Amino acid sequence: MIEVAGLTHRYGDTVAVDGVDLTVGDGEVLVLAGRNGSGKTTLIRHFNGLLDPDEGEVRVNGTPVEDDLVAARASVGMVFQDPRDQFVAATVGADVAFGPENLGLDRDEIDRRTTDALDAVNMAGRGEERIDELSGGEQARVAIAGALAMDPDHLVCDEPFAGLDWPARRAVLDRLEALADAGRSVVVVTHDLRDVADFADRVAVLADGRIATEGAPADVRAALPDLGVRPP
Amino acid sequence: MIAYEPGDSLAHGLDARAKLAFQAAFAVAAFAHTSPQGLVAAGAVTLVILAASRTPLLRTLWTFRSFLPFLLAAPLVEGARLGPPWFVAEDAVFPALAAVRVGLTVLVGAAYVRTTPVRESRAAVQWLVPGRVGAFLGLGVGMVFRLLPVLRADLSRIRSAMHARLAAERSLRDRMRLVGVTGLRRAFRRSDALSLALRARCFAWNPTLPPLAFRGRDWATLAVAAAVAAVAAV
Repeated sequence: MIEVAGLTHRYGDTVAVDGVDLTVGDGEVLVLAGRNGSGKTTLIRHFNGLLDPDEGEVRVNGTPVEDDLVAARASVGMVFQDPRDQFVAATVGADVAFGPENLGLDRDEIDRRTTDALDAVNMAGRGEERIDELSGGEQARVAIAGALAMDPDHLVCDEPFAGLDWPARRAVLDRLEALADAGRSVVVVTHDLRDVADFADRVAVLADGRIATEGAPADVRAALPDLGVRPP
Repeated sequence: MIAYEPGDSLAHGLDARAKLAFQAAFAVAAFAHTSPQGLVAAGAVTLVILAASRTPLLRTLWTFRSFLPFLLAAPLVEGARLGPPWFVAEDAVFPALAAVRVGLTVLVGAAYVRTTPVRESRAAVQWLVPGRVGAFLGLGVGMVFRLLPVLRADLSRIRSAMHARLAAERSLRDRMRLVGVTGLRRAFRRSDALSLALRARCFAWNPTLPPLAFRGRDWATLAVAAAVAAVAAV
């Protein structure tokens, strides 16, 4: 479970996240929506301690993030908005193995996790391919595999459909649905609910750094256009 | 940009340490034997290495095109005179041979980069230099190989974006300033993004590195490297 309590984050005089309280339950699919600049990315970067809060606290599986950053980052897999920002190796397999290597696992376990993660995103047997020669959709799936290889309890995807055509969006969505079905909680950040409304258990909409509305997709639908979110 | 290319060439199958040893021995031999005959032999060895690693000669030279003019300019500058006879060929010979040596060494280095995954280079460096110093050097190797191609691609995109909006109408100085400033800004952004990605994936100074194992052909490569080094010493 991810628990956010009274979280505030400021960039200079600008308050990006303003006293947010939020919980992501185990196995839950939460869509975090909001217009550009509403604080979505800043909020999720607190989930695994990539940012330090000015006020408030985030707990992952009951432990404050700052108490054990490695545990938080191993538990919360993060997929960045632009997959190219996430890649740290030239080939698919090397990049997916990067996280498990940092955890100090033995080589057999690293190889197993890499194989499983690539399999989970329909990229099995493509570990030797160069990342920069993949299509945008394939890069997005490799980015998800990189996070999955950490064997996280929670997967957080920042705008996973940005810049993807429909088949690629469908492929990524299928993978996320399969992961949710397998019992992982999934947080999807987006400003367009068309792709994810059927898949979400709950939608939380941020506006000016605060949770403006929260509930089942059908319950929040009417409020979405005024909050800069494209409804399903 | 020269970068690792997955493949199944002979060089791809060699241990990174054997390749590093050969590379070092080749560089020493190329700089020890400065005669034209010595460089012809080094050139022949270079062609064999390029073939064994399936590294295309012309494409690799094209990749290094920005620094080739400096190699070509060295003998021209050395041989040039301000008055008659205007050019002394004998004076140009030594820098020309030096330029060839540098070129051959760079080509052999390119073959190494093209056939060795960055993680294996890192593992080899950390094997050669144990402890924290080795970990720091290994990490540096990994970062350089990862970040440089990305930065170069960024510069290329910046140039393309400028030309798409008629940048050629501006002065050369203005264009250089724009590419430089934008490139620097992009480099900082890339560095920040890489730092964030490393932290998100539990960056560690002592990760599990790929196993290194010497097999028969690695010992053979090491023997060739020792022979080349011996030639350099003679």
